[in-house]
Amino acid sequence: MDITEGDIKINNQPIIHCSDVNVFYEEKQALFDVDLVINEKEVTSLIGPSGCGKSTFIRCLNRMNDVIETCSINGSIVINGQDIYDPEVDVVELRAKIGMVFQKPNPFPKSVYDNVAYGPKLHGKFLNKSDMNNKVEESLVRAGLWDEIKDRLNEPGTALSGGQQQRLCIARAIAVDPEIILMDEPCSALDPIATARIEELIDDLKVNYTIVIVTHSMQQAARVSQRTAFFHLGKLIEVGDTEKIFRSPENEQTEAYVTGRYG
Amino acid sequence: MSEHIVSSFDEELNGISDGIITMGALVLEALKRVETTLKNNDHNLAQEIIDSDNQINDLGQSVENKVFNILASRQPMAVDLRLVFSAVKMALYLERCGDMCKGISKRIIKGALNEADSEDTINHLINMSIKVHSNLALVLDDYGNKNCQNALKVWRSDSEIDSLYSGVLTEILNAIKSNPDAINTLVPLLFIARYLERVGDQATNIAEETHFIVTGEDLTDEAKIQIENETTF
Repeated sequence: MDITEGDIKINNQPIIHCSDVNVFYEEKQALFDVDLVINEKEVTSLIGPSGCGKSTFIRCLNRMNDVIETCSINGSIVINGQDIYDPEVDVVELRAKIGMVFQKPNPFPKSVYDNVAYGPKLHGKFLNKSDMNNKVEESLVRAGLWDEIKDRLNEPGTALSGGQQQRLCIARAIAVDPEIILMDEPCSALDPIATARIEELIDDLKVNYTIVIVTHSMQQAARVSQRTAFFHLGKLIEVGDTEKIFRSPENEQTEAYVTGRYG
Repeated sequence: MSEHIVSSFDEELNGISDGIITMGALVLEALKRVETTLKNNDHNLAQEIIDSDNQINDLGQSVENKVFNILASRQPMAVDLRLVFSAVKMALYLERCGDMCKGISKRIIKGALNEADSEDTINHLINMSIKVHSNLALVLDDYGNKNCQNALKVWRSDSEIDSLYSGVLTEILNAIKSNPDAINTLVPLLFIARYLERVGDQATNIAEETHFIVTGEDLTDEAKIQIENETTF
């Protein structure tokens, strides 16, 4: 969200500072010296052709790449003043603070209720049944799903429609009170109506959360984000206000990509 | 810039640009005829200008339709978006230029140039039409060549057109004061001067749009103020 003072736009405060981030899969380098600052309580889109490193980058932000044995990272990623690659960092806690939503909705094979309650239970929160009920309801309300499924809480999460499943995954992420939500192509498996609902939700969520979204849709990036970063061949080519990136980008490669002149 | 991956996108964008260029050529032709008509008080030629205005309007409508379709089907971005967005405005500016030429022609047919004592004023109007034609040709060249090298030059030059307009205005008002009976024949000349001045303004609008398409930036107020300061006396 920008605050406008006259003609001067002031972006929100930075929350994520990435410096000289390099990522390797064995010998192959996937990211090269990425420096990127992400502001709190706004949406940052990561765009670029397939294989450009945007998903690799977003997975660095909650250490999801740790699960890939061949993956190594150097450089620095500081979130809220904490180097998240510090050996002292509890990765489970980190991933509670930095939730993630994936391309394909992946609800647990459990009831709708248990999908949302799973995270808080894992973290030992809301052990009182009434408190947990409130948390589940609050999370589903925030994910824009409550009205649609409040009478279906005991049904399997996998029985919901694709769009509902994706919003359930967002509710599941929200339930553990994250500060940041990472979304890796969250709408690519959804129809236009479900996509519109997710985009509406992203707009609502940015009031309380910092959102980083990987998307292949230029129009989606233009619609939902305040800042946009363009990656190509593992390098961050340009980052700036979304309006600027889609109206008059500085870099020729960015211009070629966003106008469809570049594969 | 290289071509789009989807070649039909290039064809559609070129269709829009070509439409603007053709509109521009027709407006320049109309302005050239206005100059000749002013020189020769040629009512037949004036009628031809009026008749050909429909062609400009139709092209404007065609550009709008193409813009509508490309926005719906391609969702253009960056330079493409600027070109498409500006095309709507450019078509409108050129359509207005055509309307001004038509308005001048109507005044001429009604006998605006028949006042025998207005020779100096008519010569000044001819000078205005030459200047306006030159400015419009420069900015349309820029548009066709995808650059904006003449934008500031045209802005400067428009101040000269404004000065010519002020001069003509003063001449006509003085003529009316000294011969109030001639008001009916002199007022149409005022309209002609006003129309030409407005076409000059449209040329500056087109210069601004072309600057925006090429650079992505508005022609800044600072740049305009600098020009105004240079030319204010």
